[in-house]
Amino acid sequence: MSVTRITVDGEPVDATAGSSLTAAFVAARRWRLRDNPVSGEPRGPFCGMGVCFECEVTVDGRPGVRACLTRVVPGMTVETGAPVETGPPSVGTRP
Amino acid sequence: MTVSHDVLSHGVLSRDVLVVGGGPAGLSAAARLAAAGLTVAIADEQPELGGQYFRRPSPAVLRAHGDHRPEGGRLIARVRELGVDCLTGHLVWGVADDGRTLFATAPDGAAVRLRARHVIVATGAYERTHPFPGWQLPGVTTPGFAQHLAAADGTPVGRRVLVAGSGPFLLPVACSLLDAGAEVIGVAEAGHPYTPSLRATAALRHPARLRELAGYMARLARARVPIWQGRVVTGASGDDSVSAVTLAATADPSRPVGTFAVDAVCVGYGFRPQTELARLLGCEIRADAATGDAAPVTDAFGRTSRPGVYVVGEAAGIGGVHLARARGRLTAAHILAARGGGDRREIVRLAARTRALGRFTALGEALYPSPAALQDALVSALPDETVVCRCEAVTASDVRAAATDRAGGDLNAAKSWSRAGMGPCQGRFCGFAVAGLVRAARGGERGEPVFPARQPVRPVPVETLLALGEQEPEGDAA
Repeated sequence: MSVTRITVDGEPVDATAGSSLTAAFVAARRWRLRDNPVSGEPRGPFCGMGVCFECEVTVDGRPGVRACLTRVVPGMTVETGAPVETGPPSVGTRP
Repeated sequence: MTVSHDVLSHGVLSRDVLVVGGGPAGLSAAARLAAAGLTVAIADEQPELGGQYFRRPSPAVLRAHGDHRPEGGRLIARVRELGVDCLTGHLVWGVADDGRTLFATAPDGAAVRLRARHVIVATGAYERTHPFPGWQLPGVTTPGFAQHLAAADGTPVGRRVLVAGSGPFLLPVACSLLDAGAEVIGVAEAGHPYTPSLRATAALRHPARLRELAGYMARLARARVPIWQGRVVTGASGDDSVSAVTLAATADPSRPVGTFAVDAVCVGYGFRPQTELARLLGCEIRADAATGDAAPVTDAFGRTSRPGVYVVGEAAGIGGVHLARARGRLTAAHILAARGGGDRREIVRLAARTRALGRFTALGEALYPSPAALQDALVSALPDETVVCRCEAVTASDVRAAATDRAGGDLNAAKSWSRAGMGPCQGRFCGFAVAGLVRAARGGERGEPVFPARQPVRPVPVETLLALGEQEPEGDAA
């Protein structure tokens, strides 16, 4: 009953409501969540505790959300990859 | 959780005590202080209290397997019952010019100022990692991530997993992976803590620790999981995610001894205090010679060089959950005594307990290689093409060249020239390795262990800064 459906990059993915969003990605073997903006290499969740920022995704239109600190909510919509340019950027990462 | 408007006026929350970090130490301090009648707020960036050690299992795992750490659930419930304002999902990222007001971002992006007479920094620890070629590939993770996935979410990090690094934590992680249904192809430990036999180790003087280690070893032996000692991971490869991992002897990291097919690799060398907020608050920091880490200078009560600012738990030095909780309670008891209340006997008892637990930790650490020495050895053997700074994709050769050619062996100049440490993780994962490379470039002379802390300690949404600007300026606008 706790198995729910979320949308990842337009595709339906089974996930467990209340578990971490990274767990849903790992269970679905979706490791590549973004490409490094400098090298273009694939990146995926690394630390699982909010420190590395490698699992940033866009959740329900909000960019820069760390999947490891986010719990699965039924019906949530997730976009992996770099956020579309319309979202507000984060500051403090570039001098 | 969003704070209701009655506790939050004009984006400012004022309390007797502010605790940053809702793990074992912060919760323990908050519970004691709230029970004595002080007004207390806890801020934590995670969606729920508990920190890493007491991270709450998902509802599905709770229903299926119960709570693997019920004492954490009880402590959180007590803190809530005592009326502590629990600001979960609140990222504390900066300090105002007054040196006392903390800036935070609420879950909806709103800016919050936090003020308190007593600030308790309980920001915990993060995993000590060392770069190696391929560590940035998806599927290479910290052991802690695998542990959370297995224990809190019931999800194995992979089907064929190598667990590697150093320290006692690798054993329970490997066991959790087995419980979650993964095949653990081996545990690679950089040192030789378990030879000639576990019984010969100093842990024998602490039967409880020996029993715990022996239990994990027995579980791994039953599953025929080999423990390779004196081995380190020196490479990972794959396309979109890791498919192979290479091990070498710790004594000679440049010579591979084996390559294994895997779909996940978990590498960690213990834990480091998370000290950025304490440093922003101006607390004096020292370099720990044995670990190479930066640690705040604190006394037995968690007092720092800044009056009214305390650091407790793993943020003050790695010692495990029991020590973290005892330190949290001791700091709380000290604050109560300083306010003219409290119980002297409580302080004496807690001080004795923290001393005993500290000795216990030192004994455990003696089994494993010195993290500082290990880091020096691994950094000097690091191939030039290794991506050292994950965020900015800066290689070891970039850092070496910047340190030698342009920075004159200065860490901060090397950072500026190479961009290493300038990404969103703010050098938490590369900083010590970059410092090691720069140190090697100036002939090994010791200096700063890592970059200085800068705010925001985590990237902050622009909307938060805009909201701060719109709130009443009190000379502390970011």
